[in-house]
Amino acid sequence: MGRTILLIEDEAPIRAVVRDALWSPGDVWLTAPTGSEGLALATAHRPELIVLDLGLPDLDGLVVCRSLRAVTPAPILVLSARHDEAQKVALLDAGADDYVTKPFGSTELRARVRAHLRRTEAAAVRPSGRLVVGELDIDTERRTVTAGGLPVHLAPTEWTLLSALVANRGRTMTHQQLFRAVWGEGTFGHPQQYLRVYITHLRRKIERDPYAPRLIVTEPGVGYRFDLPDPADDA
Amino acid sequence: MRDRFGGLLAWVGWIGALGALTVAYLPFRDGIDPVYVTLSFLLVVLGGSATGGRALGLALTFIAYFGFHFFFVEAFDSLTMVNARDTFVLAAFLVTSLVASHLVTRARADAAAARARTSEVERLASIGAETLAAGRAEDALRAVIEVIRTTAGVDRGELIPDERAHTRHVQAHELHFPLTAHGQRAGTLVLSHHAEVHLTDAQRRFLTALAHYAALAAERVRLVADAEQAEASRQAEALRASLLAGLSHDLRTPLTTIKAIASRLRGRLPEAAAIEREADRLDRLAGDLVDLSRLNAGAVPIRAEVNAAADLVGAAVQRARDAHAADRLRVVPFDADGSPPVLAMFDFVHALRALSNLVENALKYSPPDSVVDLSVVRDEQTVSFSVADRGPGIAAHEAELVFDAFYRAPGAPMDTGGAGLGLAIARRLAREQDGDVTVTGRPGGGSVFTLTLPAASA
Repeated sequence: MGRTILLIEDEAPIRAVVRDALWSPGDVWLTAPTGSEGLALATAHRPELIVLDLGLPDLDGLVVCRSLRAVTPAPILVLSARHDEAQKVALLDAGADDYVTKPFGSTELRARVRAHLRRTEAAAVRPSGRLVVGELDIDTERRTVTAGGLPVHLAPTEWTLLSALVANRGRTMTHQQLFRAVWGEGTFGHPQQYLRVYITHLRRKIERDPYAPRLIVTEPGVGYRFDLPDPADDA
Repeated sequence: MRDRFGGLLAWVGWIGALGALTVAYLPFRDGIDPVYVTLSFLLVVLGGSATGGRALGLALTFIAYFGFHFFFVEAFDSLTMVNARDTFVLAAFLVTSLVASHLVTRARADAAAARARTSEVERLASIGAETLAAGRAEDALRAVIEVIRTTAGVDRGELIPDERAHTRHVQAHELHFPLTAHGQRAGTLVLSHHAEVHLTDAQRRFLTALAHYAALAAERVRLVADAEQAEASRQAEALRASLLAGLSHDLRTPLTTIKAIASRLRGRLPEAAAIEREADRLDRLAGDLVDLSRLNAGAVPIRAEVNAAADLVGAAVQRARDAHAADRLRVVPFDADGSPPVLAMFDFVHALRALSNLVENALKYSPPDSVVDLSVVRDEQTVSFSVADRGPGIAAHEAELVFDAFYRAPGAPMDTGGAGLGLAIARRLAREQDGDVTVTGRPGGGSVFTLTLPAASA
């Protein structure tokens, strides 16, 4: 069963690279060299994945992202040559799901795409409940966490933070989004500080090696992400 | 000379006038009212004082007095007096003459002084205008020196920079004025003349005041030169930054293709891994060049916030993992379970860049079977991230050199990759965040590079 993939990219060599990297038999590929054409295709065909390059000739990437998000729930993966954290944050807030900087390896691109497709599948099948990740067993209904069979005690704030991360697993959440999810709007002071301290506490409790975190991953300058292990990682 | 001549003329003229008046009144001295004589003589005294100065005024006073006494007071042709009343007339004449002469002489001197002051003020105004003129700074300075030269009435005026002034002796017929503007030395003004220069105190004072304007003009020349140089530097830097940014994008597009294809060929072609690695290396080099250039142009915004040290360490480990080198990196535990997390003040992205550069450097320059230790220590003011390797170590005299851009240790293998920018960038980034990167030797062999950042508390 093939996927419908929309690629919005104006440079032909990159189009070739992306297609090569993600190709799998049965897939339907839609390509557009401009933002407006891409939007038209997204509206008409309901793709399952969108790869969007930021350097488009007609529209600003941020605008395209927002417009796409308005018409489709499909994961949007953004490609850019700039290593700009502020831009990353803006794109994530505008509805993008991931940000890949050029040059990228095809393995990396494939892994990211797989992660996002898995996420949407998992969300479609089972929106909440129990999540088992390696030795970690998270039960969102009973609000319990066990690591390697032993119960882990989490403070209420730590639990809220973990739930927010797990609910959006596979997707990077910006500092702002996470802070709002845990502490709500209208809080004064230094939000980033609290968030970072609690992330550190959480890692100490649930990571096997808090100094080499595999579950709660830092996206430098952008936010945090609860990573799902990739079955193909061991390959 | 002309004064003297003019003076001689005045003396001869006014004394002659007295003589002429005396001769004119002589025939009538029997019946004439002495008032005619005294008033006429007084006029001569006034005229002489006004035109010939104090000496002439005094001389005329006494000549007129004795002339009047001798010729026109009884007894005639002698200095004996017959009438007591005449004593009063004589005394009145003398006093009036002296006072009038004095007043006129003084008025004349005051007027001359006022004219001189006006002329000084006009000179100052014209120099002020020259100094502030929007023309070229060098032209303004030359104009000021020229005004000073003509005021002093000397042949030559020039500005000597300090370095030469110290070795130059004050020669005869020269005046030296050291110039200082806003507390800074601006050189020495030298006025030279073919003959000896005599200046009154007032003139010297005035010239010193003028010299101040010269100092301002000289300072202006220096400031304009500095500003032009700074502007040229800035423009060159901005141009370089924009060129490199464009280059960066143009490099990264083909690199994307190369790298993507290489990674696809990984299983099938043994060299594919090398191609991908070299593409990564080119990418890093392009990024480093752009970043260093932007840092130099002051175009990198740094936003320091309170961050957890463990977060930074974890991200550095993640980077090493991405480069398939995590098994060579060992973190020494520092955040004990019960204690609050170590916090520091830094910009996460830039601090991570600095720390990753240190880790990469350590991995690159140490044997492939050795381990790199990463440890964190907190004290009162700082948090130190130390990266220790078992490489060849850094010689003491190179400890500062390694942080220079493009520096490569002599004897280092050429294919170790990079272009010698990693440490330079790491240190620049650290310093922009009120921290630093330093290196020391490691007991047992190797080096310890330490990134220090300001400590923070929750």
